[in-house]
Amino acid sequence: MNTGGRSFSMPLGPVHVALEEPVYFHLTVEGETIRKVELTSGHVHRGMEAMATQRNLTKNTTLTERVCSLCSNSHSFTYCMAVENVLGINIPQRARYLRVLAEEIKRVASHLFNTAIQAHIIGFKSLFMHTMEVREMIQDVKETVYGNRMNLAQNCIGGVKCDVTPELLKYILGMVDKMEPGVEEIRELYSSNSMVLGRTKGLGLLPKEDALRLGVVGPVARGSGLKMDVRKDSPYAAYPDLEFETIVSDGCCIHSRTTVRLHEIFESFRLIRQCCECVPDGATTASMRQIRSAEACARTEAPRGEVFYYIRTNGTDRPGRLKWRVPSYMNWEALGVMMKDCKVADAALITNSIDPCVSCTER
Amino acid sequence: MQKDIQSDARIIENLTLCSETGMVHHTADSFGNAFHWFRLGTPRHLTRAAALLRDVGARLCMATAYNRRQLSEPMQEVCYHFELGGVVYNLTVTLNGEWPVVPSITHLFANADWHEREMMELYGINVTDHPNPRRLFLDEEFDEGILNQAVPLSIMMNGACTTDLWERILKDREKLS
Repeated sequence: MNTGGRSFSMPLGPVHVALEEPVYFHLTVEGETIRKVELTSGHVHRGMEAMATQRNLTKNTTLTERVCSLCSNSHSFTYCMAVENVLGINIPQRARYLRVLAEEIKRVASHLFNTAIQAHIIGFKSLFMHTMEVREMIQDVKETVYGNRMNLAQNCIGGVKCDVTPELLKYILGMVDKMEPGVEEIRELYSSNSMVLGRTKGLGLLPKEDALRLGVVGPVARGSGLKMDVRKDSPYAAYPDLEFETIVSDGCCIHSRTTVRLHEIFESFRLIRQCCECVPDGATTASMRQIRSAEACARTEAPRGEVFYYIRTNGTDRPGRLKWRVPSYMNWEALGVMMKDCKVADAALITNSIDPCVSCTER
Repeated sequence: MQKDIQSDARIIENLTLCSETGMVHHTADSFGNAFHWFRLGTPRHLTRAAALLRDVGARLCMATAYNRRQLSEPMQEVCYHFELGGVVYNLTVTLNGEWPVVPSITHLFANADWHEREMMELYGINVTDHPNPRRLFLDEEFDEGILNQAVPLSIMMNGACTTDLWERILKDREKLS
């Protein structure tokens, strides 16, 4: 369409841009080409940080697990680490392994979900269904081991709530063996299918210097060639004892970010196997300590990137301040760079490539 | 490793000089990860300290505004959290109680944009020279600090069995008079 160089303003959203969460884009377009992106959010702001100061430290474990759905475990995990740092609690070895086990199971589920949604947006229905079918096995693992398909409620201050029995560890190992060929097949499809490659390769570019400038995290940063992973940079829980690689791809495009996620699933399988095989015996929780006035931070690598928590205690059982920053909060602005000069039809696909989470961005 | 420790020591030394208070302390978690805490003399020192961290390639992680007692009271301090090579550097700025102002660091760290806009609309802090001071979450039509005027549903519903609601009304009346 020839617009004679005139630009138009085009609203996109707030619902069904890529997923069923509200975010509103103001696109400035010339014909079908996006020239500028502005973003409006705040539709699901829940005031959770204010709520956290009205609850005691134990109740906040439950609250923080509800910040996000796919990263739910990472929130209670990091929150508990922040409380342990502020109180000086040292968690038992067994709890360190069991925390990593839950975290990596959630990572597999999260990455597969994002990959499936990508196929859904492309319109590749059979691939979407197949990816979700493989993902269902890890959902079964969650339900069997923790009794829930989404919020595992595994973390508690001082350790973990649910001790995983040897039978269940054997079951997890069996399920990972069963899943691996399925994920391998999916990885092969995403790297070779012409329909997928046509929509994802070389599109939604985020050059390395922009990734650095905007401070993006997680697979978005690693897909633009930045080697950053909290699990390696400041190891926590059992990660210092476990072997795994940080996956980096320098394609800077949608495909590159998907590749990082799909390869990371195999690293998660490695970690799950090591946890199941090497988890030491012993206690699963450490006891609580006296609450004084102090401050501390904690950070972990969630499926979408670094989660950062700050806690300030005031001598009571309610925190004076609890603040957190989710990975998506850092990644939204990158969409302005990624969408520039792309077609309007690719906006949803590009949005999905940062694996956005609106509810946790707005809290 | 040796090089990392030396560069870390140099950053600590420079930030301590920059803070002009000499109030610095260091903590570590049970896994041996280091956290350094610096208290800046006035908000004016923030720009210089942040520029120092930018020059060594640090990344801004988060900014937290808080009141030492309760979140619903006016903000007293802002803590900026930076990361470099797995080490977290925290810069704490004390605010002026009457008119809390901090200089914007968005020109140094592009990702400070959202944090500063959130501080402006939700915590009533004035961020000077912000390049893009639009609302982040709240609609333009809402007054600043509107959420502080709301009474939490839990307080409202427990009006019959606790004194929280009545205390809240007394406090609001004091503010108005």
